[in-house]
Amino acid sequence: MAIGAIGTSTPIQPIEFPKLGGAGGAGKAEGTKNFGDQLSGAIDNLQQTQAKSDDLATQVATGKLTNIHDYMIAANQTEIATQLTVAVRNKAVDAFNQIMNMQV
Amino acid sequence: MPLFDAFAISGSGLYTYRKWMDALSDNIANMDTVVGTNQNAFQERFVQAQAANVKGSGGGVRVASVQLGDAAGRLRHDPSNPLADAQGYVKAPDMDLSDQMTNLILAQRGYQANLAAIDRAKQAYTQALSLGK
Repeated sequence: MAIGAIGTSTPIQPIEFPKLGGAGGAGKAEGTKNFGDQLSGAIDNLQQTQAKSDDLATQVATGKLTNIHDYMIAANQTEIATQLTVAVRNKAVDAFNQIMNMQV
Repeated sequence: MPLFDAFAISGSGLYTYRKWMDALSDNIANMDTVVGTNQNAFQERFVQAQAANVKGSGGGVRVASVQLGDAAGRLRHDPSNPLADAQGYVKAPDMDLSDQMTNLILAQRGYQANLAAIDRAKQAYTQALSLGK
């Protein structure tokens, strides 16, 4: 009985690592963007979120709001986005200060 | 924004349940709306929900349509009603108040459940932000 050679019909595939995607993810490691760009991008996003929240607040005041939850969701989103941006900024400033206080 | 998908999805749920409450309010308001027998009775409002892709989140729900109930209604003997025909009949809507109230409880609880989901997501995000403090 002939024993067949071990086939190499299925070459080993390189492993593809998932990429961190999505807009507005402040502090994500993309490699190509520096931290300043990322932070300003996050602040732009924050500004958009706040503008939406402001717009809905105006609708509340003028009686044009049709869904109560729309405003509450937008307000909560803005709150969390602001907290996130502030947290990222604080961490960055902490890191900067640690380097500046380094003894040489 | 992917960060707020949970909010967008639960928001679509809130909208749908709100629409259901609107439809039920309409039904309850018109519970005793009678018309002459030569006209269509008030038709019960049914909200048809459908799974949707809300703001690119891959989830959520939307109101597909509002379906209407039977226009034939129920004949009610009420000779004193000015709308009554020669036999003394008027047409009342084909729906029950008890059904509407039961559905109203379901709609209210559904709305509250979506609010709870948003609240939990917010709590989780806030806790994540307090990491290391």
